[in-house]
Amino acid sequence: MPGFGEQLERLEAIVRQLEAEDLDLDEALKLFEEGVERLRAAREQLTQAEGKVKKALKGEGPGR
Amino acid sequence: MGTPLDLFAAASAEGAWTVTEVTRRARAVIEAGLPALWIRGEVTGFKAWRSGHWYFSLRDKTAQISCVMFQSDNRGLPAPPAEGTQVFVFARPTIYDAKGDFQLNVRELLSTEQGGLWKLALEKAKAALRKDGLLDPARKRRLPAFPRRIAVVTSPDGAALRDIEVVVTRRWPMAELVLVAAKVQGEGAEASVCAALARLTKGGLDVDVAIVGRGGGAAEDLWTFNSERVARALAAVSVPVISAVGHETDVTLCDLVADLRAPTPSAAAEAATPDQAEVLVHLERLGERLARGLSQRSQRAVDRLDRTGDRLTGAIQSRLEQSRALLTAHSAHLEALSPLKILARGYAVARDEKGRVLKRVKQLPSGREFTLRVTDGEVDARVR
Repeated sequence: MPGFGEQLERLEAIVRQLEAEDLDLDEALKLFEEGVERLRAAREQLTQAEGKVKKALKGEGPGR
Repeated sequence: MGTPLDLFAAASAEGAWTVTEVTRRARAVIEAGLPALWIRGEVTGFKAWRSGHWYFSLRDKTAQISCVMFQSDNRGLPAPPAEGTQVFVFARPTIYDAKGDFQLNVRELLSTEQGGLWKLALEKAKAALRKDGLLDPARKRRLPAFPRRIAVVTSPDGAALRDIEVVVTRRWPMAELVLVAAKVQGEGAEASVCAALARLTKGGLDVDVAIVGRGGGAAEDLWTFNSERVARALAAVSVPVISAVGHETDVTLCDLVADLRAPTPSAAAEAATPDQAEVLVHLERLGERLARGLSQRSQRAVDRLDRTGDRLTGAIQSRLEQSRALLTAHSAHLEALSPLKILARGYAVARDEKGRVLKRVKQLPSGREFTLRVTDGEVDARVR
């Protein structure tokens, strides 16, 4: 799965394209669908992230 | 304290002491009478020997004393004192037997200037770092907007780690914190921090930003982060580094070399992470724009379709009207040309049995039968 940053960047690009360019309706629909999918994934990443901090802390030993 | 001083015996040539005896005696008297103490004076004639020992004199307006500071005592100092600086030394007065010199064995040396020697060392290190371009603002990298893994170089049991954890959990819980434990103060701290920093690049930790930090503390505890070696190790890290050494007033070398300086570990964690609440709002707005973008796009399509339909209808209608007008014109013309109209005016048409029109006298010999078409019908006829 792409990182949150890439997800958001792509989503922003899609929105801009949809707003600015005179696309085929077909093309616009495809972009819209991709945008919705990325929005959903990003929101999921954001809200399902609790508790990762501690896990990683325990996972890494002291560095010597 | 050796044999008691026999002034009577020594007063005669026969009782003469050796040089060694009198020197040792003088040393014993001085060491007994003057315990180790703090002495203030101006440094002059400084010389560092290859052995690492320092030799110099302390003087004021009227007197001067030779000083030695052994390598074992001066190695903790960042730099030798500059000629003419006012210093405080903690020293044991004694006599150097081999030369018969009264001297101070210096154990500690403090400059009277604020930060004194440290400041000097810092300036030197800073100049060296600057020369190598490590202080160039253009070197500073941008922090990742949405970090996945954040390395924290600090003491595993310090307050800094706790503070960072609290902030990251609140603001950006999707980031993973990777502790790279290091001893941040005291003996061996320099080497420990350097090793931890090297691990950021070579340890396969796959982090995209790092925080190097410690909690607040005395200014001396910052020395690790003022080490040129540590600063160079920090500059060599392959990901952006935030320094959070936890001191508002003193800017350390690490602060200068880091991609961002934060006043506290909490502030560093804030700088390293976006706020998830704000990001959620941003996502919602993007969602709205996405929907609006599509609906505007489809509206444009519908509008265009409508316009096309209108034009089509319009085109067909005008075409129909043209045809109708043409038809009317043609039918009037046709009517005018109709032979029936002529017959109505009293003319008649003669045709033979095959329907051919008979126009000339030659075609109508005597006795020829033909038909005659008049306006309301036909009659059979014969030429007489």
